[in-house]
Amino acid sequence: MINDEYFLAALRLAAGNDPIPSHVSAAARDVYGLRVPRAVTAAPAARTSAGSDVRDPDGCHLMRFVTDGLTFDLEVTVGDGLIDVAGQVWPHPGDDAVIDVKTPHLTLTRHIAHNGDFAATGLPPGWLSVVCHRPGRAPVQTRWVRIRP
Amino acid sequence: MPDPREPAELVTAAAEDDRTAWDELEARYGPRMWAVARASGLSPSDAADAVQGAWLRLLQNLHTLRDPAKVGGWLMTTVRREAHAFLRKRHDVSPLDQDVLSLEAVDEPDPASAVLEADGRRLLWKQVSALHEPCRTIIQLVAIDLGNRQMAARLGMPVGSVGPTKARCLEKLRTLISSQETAQ
Repeated sequence: MINDEYFLAALRLAAGNDPIPSHVSAAARDVYGLRVPRAVTAAPAARTSAGSDVRDPDGCHLMRFVTDGLTFDLEVTVGDGLIDVAGQVWPHPGDDAVIDVKTPHLTLTRHIAHNGDFAATGLPPGWLSVVCHRPGRAPVQTRWVRIRP
Repeated sequence: MPDPREPAELVTAAAEDDRTAWDELEARYGPRMWAVARASGLSPSDAADAVQGAWLRLLQNLHTLRDPAKVGGWLMTTVRREAHAFLRKRHDVSPLDQDVLSLEAVDEPDPASAVLEADGRRLLWKQVSALHEPCRTIIQLVAIDLGNRQMAARLGMPVGSVGPTKARCLEKLRTLISSQETAQ
């Protein structure tokens, strides 16, 4: 038996009602420009017993992403409609490594401090991912996460 | 004009830097993904985010899809999961970590969304055309989201009768479609 909502959606689609807006199609096509060739994906992992994405008392998202040999800890704050990211990557990926903090509309490149810290501020809300570029090795990219106020 | 490429071909080509393959994937599956997101109960702005999220997931999985030939089903399942994650978040039912952790292994097709595929839509519209009046007109008006009051004016029936008649017609159509599916 067909689910009610799908049934009505199919009727609307068949009638040409509620078509995909052109900006949604354009955004989907633009996603391809965000590809990081050869990137290894870092998956969400539990940072504490509370899970891979918890909120501290100030409403800040605390997230951990892990792949073989590299861990990202991210603290994401939403304020005034914009996103600030403070993160740490460990073990330190090397002096020549850099971090890209990516959103579909903006990528900010940051150097990594000796203790692995990096930060980026004033990002638009929505989808977010962090990439660590390491000379001579495959880049490591966190899975995309959606951050909304 | 060349034959359209198979889904698996498009996935492989997109993974190998062929932007036109990505655009073809979007043209083929984007409208249905939108319909799935909207059918899941998302507002237009959340649906836009869910669809974009599903494409981002595909981008990160181009090299690792278990069955690239089933990329369409994979995208529909992914957008539906994104939609459900948004709804859970909106209702504050579950912690955010479940949203990101629940995105593993979505290679299985989504049977419910088959009705949203082109063949399913053609069959559906064929069945609508075969309905007797007033059901045929009522379903066509439901499809364009006409309200009960306007529907009553168009059909020349009391407003109070529209809801029950609409429900009966939808049920009739659903039964027709289901018996057709069973026969196949």
